Amino acid sequence: MFEKSDEQLIEKALKGQKKAWFSLLKRYEKPVYHYGLRMTGNNADALDLMQDVFISVFRNLSSYRNEGSFKGWLFRIAHYRCIEFYRRKRPQQGLDDAPEIPCTAQPAEQLIENTQRNAQLVSAMQQLPLAQKSVVELKFFGHFTFEEIAQQTGMSVNTAKSRLYGALAKLKTLMEVDYVEL
Amino acid sequence: MSSYDNAELLALWLEDNLTPEQRNIFEQRCVQDDDFAQQVEAASTIKLHADGYQDFDVPQWDRGKTFDCQERGSSQERANSQERVDSRNPFEYSARRQRWAWLPSVSFAMSALAIVLVLTGTQVSLTSGELRIRFGHEQSQLAMSKLIDSKLDTFKQNQQEAFSLYAQTLQQQQLESASQLTNYLLTSSRKERREDFAELIKFVNQQRSDDQLFYARQLNQLQQDVYLDANGIKVDGTQQ
Repeated sequence: MFEKSDEQLIEKALKGQKKAWFSLLKRYEKPVYHYGLRMTGNNADALDLMQDVFISVFRNLSSYRNEGSFKGWLFRIAHYRCIEFYRRKRPQQGLDDAPEIPCTAQPAEQLIENTQRNAQLVSAMQQLPLAQKSVVELKFFGHFTFEEIAQQTGMSVNTAKSRLYGALAKLKTLMEVDYVEL
Repeated sequence: MSSYDNAELLALWLEDNLTPEQRNIFEQRCVQDDDFAQQVEAASTIKLHADGYQDFDVPQWDRGKTFDCQERGSSQERANSQERVDSRNPFEYSARRQRWAWLPSVSFAMSALAIVLVLTGTQVSLTSGELRIRFGHEQSQLAMSKLIDSKLDTFKQNQQEAFSLYAQTLQQQQLESASQLTNYLLTSSRKERREDFAELIKFVNQQRSDDQLFYARQLNQLQQDVYLDANGIKVDGTQQ
């Protein structure tokens, strides 16, 4: 009936209440999981990334100072964990480089039993460089403003805008190709 | 042409922050610039896809791992992490924080007590094994009279010393001025006397000169009288 705020749950979690921590986790696990799914294109990787993100959030919970929304803070951590994930996976690849190795694991499309368009979009997003992919993800799926995206990703607002612009051009081409293939 | 670039315009459109002027520019650009129009179309399509994205439930996963992974979290993972990772377990941290939770309240209480003591003018005195706590700014009559007496004594002593010093100084000044006056009087009287004597000598000399002149005339007269005979005729020999 009365849902506790993020701040209340954090406070209780910091006092050692596991129940509060699980409530907080359940509140945000779905967006984080789907963020991971769209960013990695892979269910196993998405689960690993989600676990990494929540471990990191748990470790840093005491340093959260209620500055900005908890969701924004959470997704900032998610962004850095995602970068870390990509570095571990492909150490030589830069943030702006296009992915060299196609995803060989179980494709996300199979798990997303949604429309074919979703699968098409996720598939196209996997071919974007990480920096562009994260802006697209945060803008269209996270519904963050460009200022929030800039804060979360550590880039300037103008860079975020131009990356989105560049990403849109690529996505359009990629989705057209997919459409023709389909 | 406007100063807005395509990325900026598209970003404003996506956030629905276009002003009427910007909207005009945006619409013109959509008509004139095919690439921009295609970008807008792509953005609309992706937005549509994103809005229609139906997310499903998260598969089962070990949520408890987020608790007990603190101890066995790999150090390499931490070292590579870009974000600031606080290695403290929040629960451990909160327990430590609870251990010291009394400190702020005690600190506050002590501060409040100190303020009350200052405002009420509390005085604590220990005299020959006797502890006295006195409230209020007023001191006892006895202590006050003692204090006044001692202050008065001090004041009296100071005044006496000052008066004696003043009298001494005044006496010395009087002596000095008296001796100066004497010197002056002596000097001036000497001078006056010297002037008087000079005047006198001058007068005497003048008198003497007058006397000499008188005597010379007398002598001449006498001489003439000697050389005249009884008839009043001049003696020749004598005349020559």
